[in-house]
Amino acid sequence: MFIFKLGLKNLTRQKRRNILIIFVIAFAFFGYLMMDSLMNGMEEMSFDNIKNYDTGNIQIVNPAYWEDREDLPLENLINLNQEIIEIIQETEGVLGVSPELRFKANLNNGIDETAVIGLGISFEQYNQVFATKNYIVEGSMFTSGELKAVIGVSLADLMDLKVDDYITLLVRTKDDTFNTIDVEISGLVRAPNPMINNGIVFVPLELAQQALNVDNGVSLLALKTIPGEEDAIIKRLKSSFQNKNFNLKPYSWKESASSVIALSAAKKGGIGTVLLVVLLIGMLGIINNVILSALERTEEIGMMKALGMRGWEIVFVFMIEATGIGILGGLAGCLLGYIGVSWLVKYGFSIGYISGGDASGYGIPILDRIYGIWNYPSFTFLFILGIIIAVLSSILPSYWAAKKDPVKAIYHR
Amino acid sequence: MKRIKCVLWLGIIISILISNLIIISASELTAEEIIKKRDDNEYFDLVRIEAEMTIVNGGRKIIKTMIALSDKKNSLVEFTNPQDRGTKFLKREDDLWMFFPDAEEIIKISGHMLNQGMMGSDFSYQDIMESDKLTDLYDFKIVGEEEIDGRVCYVLEGIAREGVKVSYYRRLSWIDQERFIGLKEELYAPSGKLLKVTTAIEIREFEGRWIPIESVMENKLRGNTYTGFKIIQIEFNPKIPEGTFSLQNLR
Repeated sequence: MFIFKLGLKNLTRQKRRNILIIFVIAFAFFGYLMMDSLMNGMEEMSFDNIKNYDTGNIQIVNPAYWEDREDLPLENLINLNQEIIEIIQETEGVLGVSPELRFKANLNNGIDETAVIGLGISFEQYNQVFATKNYIVEGSMFTSGELKAVIGVSLADLMDLKVDDYITLLVRTKDDTFNTIDVEISGLVRAPNPMINNGIVFVPLELAQQALNVDNGVSLLALKTIPGEEDAIIKRLKSSFQNKNFNLKPYSWKESASSVIALSAAKKGGIGTVLLVVLLIGMLGIINNVILSALERTEEIGMMKALGMRGWEIVFVFMIEATGIGILGGLAGCLLGYIGVSWLVKYGFSIGYISGGDASGYGIPILDRIYGIWNYPSFTFLFILGIIIAVLSSILPSYWAAKKDPVKAIYHR
Repeated sequence: MKRIKCVLWLGIIISILISNLIIISASELTAEEIIKKRDDNEYFDLVRIEAEMTIVNGGRKIIKTMIALSDKKNSLVEFTNPQDRGTKFLKREDDLWMFFPDAEEIIKISGHMLNQGMMGSDFSYQDIMESDKLTDLYDFKIVGEEEIDGRVCYVLEGIAREGVKVSYYRRLSWIDQERFIGLKEELYAPSGKLLKVTTAIEIREFEGRWIPIESVMENKLRGNTYTGFKIIQIEFNPKIPEGTFSLQNLR
């Protein structure tokens, strides 16, 4: 108990130095917690934006189409019929099905043209799966049979277009013949996924099918499912397709978003590096503190040893002091982290300086702000790890101090 | 007297028949024959062309010069104007490659890239890829007769044949009745929209063949833009070294 008290008392002896180290540790912890929150927030937002605006939870395609899906071919399409839709809709866990025909097109405003992705959708079904309709900032979505289109605000800005303007989409049919889709812009969308805003033109499904000469073909069926149950639903769908002998295969959104997932894995590596730096800062601070304390207290150590204090007891005194610094630094860091993460969760981090707030150019489908998320295990993990590192890093310099010869230590000057 | 009358009538009938036959044989060229005659004028087995392409987009005017070598199936185009010097295009049968000297890389142009304008012009890569004879791709019929710049033309309508891959579903061609050269052509999408119009500006005779020396293509989906193409020099059946149409030669 005496040793414990002595250790605690020592903690208050070099106030200025100890406070400085506590602050260094606290700011290192703060930095880590902020980065962890931001990176995890970015990951969650990216995944949500992919699921809610691009792929849905599951995509059903012809396996041959899947191989070439990046090229948006008009071959190996799904010949849509009611039986397929019913089987999917009746599968447990499926909340919505949206048939989509994806195709390459050149958007023409009468003066200029630019390459875009055309998306033939059935609006009612599309709304069951995707949240895009909530982000129509001007005009409205079209309904079935209308010769209308919805485009992103960025694309509208680029091509100097507004609601009620007419555009021509130059497309290639299944037989490679040039064809046109002439439509009026019914609405402008600004979705959280910038890819929707930059280069996609939504048109009614039947209109796209007719222009591309694909009869009843669709590129894929996007599904909304109960979150987290994708794997179980994929199993059910596979079994249904097998029973019916359909040449269809369900793919999880993760398979469509492999590049974002790869980026997320790289992010984890980045967080690990930051953690290493944080721990190194804490470790060096503690080691430095123990060595300085030992040097300052050489005579005291000699005196205590002369009075019969054993080596491990001296080591223990220094360890208590280091642990105290670790705990205080950790607490202060967690408190600062709590404040910082609260701010990130509420207000987010503006990415306005990155290409006008559009991070899609870097492979991250996020617009305007990245919001942090709470990761409570990170706080606990960092706090405990901080204390362990503080204790471990104090052992060697404490041992060095405890090894001193009492006579030499007393007369070390 | 009766006999004389009979002979007279017979003479009249024969002369009417003969004159009709002459008229029929002149005007009864089929659409396919007209197109074939045009093809004979405008398609070359082996040719070397020095040409100038003028791209006009709004107020901007860019002139590009090139040398093109072509046989029945393959073509090699090398740009010679300072800005694009060394840029080459190689068409081998149904494939198209491009070489940019700055990037020192050969790129295959395929898929959606074929829709883009070649070097910023109104000619899409797909346009230069189509080398099959039109009669293999379209069913033509004569739909009328019109005058262009004082020259009487057949107006032919070509509709893409079922199952054949063509860039343009429908084309209207104005073909000079005397010289069998296309003076104007309109290209349409299945939607009925007019996509492009090509007009011959100057036609000259070379070695007994009428050739459009200067023509203009307008992309009707875009306003204020057109591309002029002018042949500066043409040489038929030149000696083309072996390996000219190879990828190795593209670098």
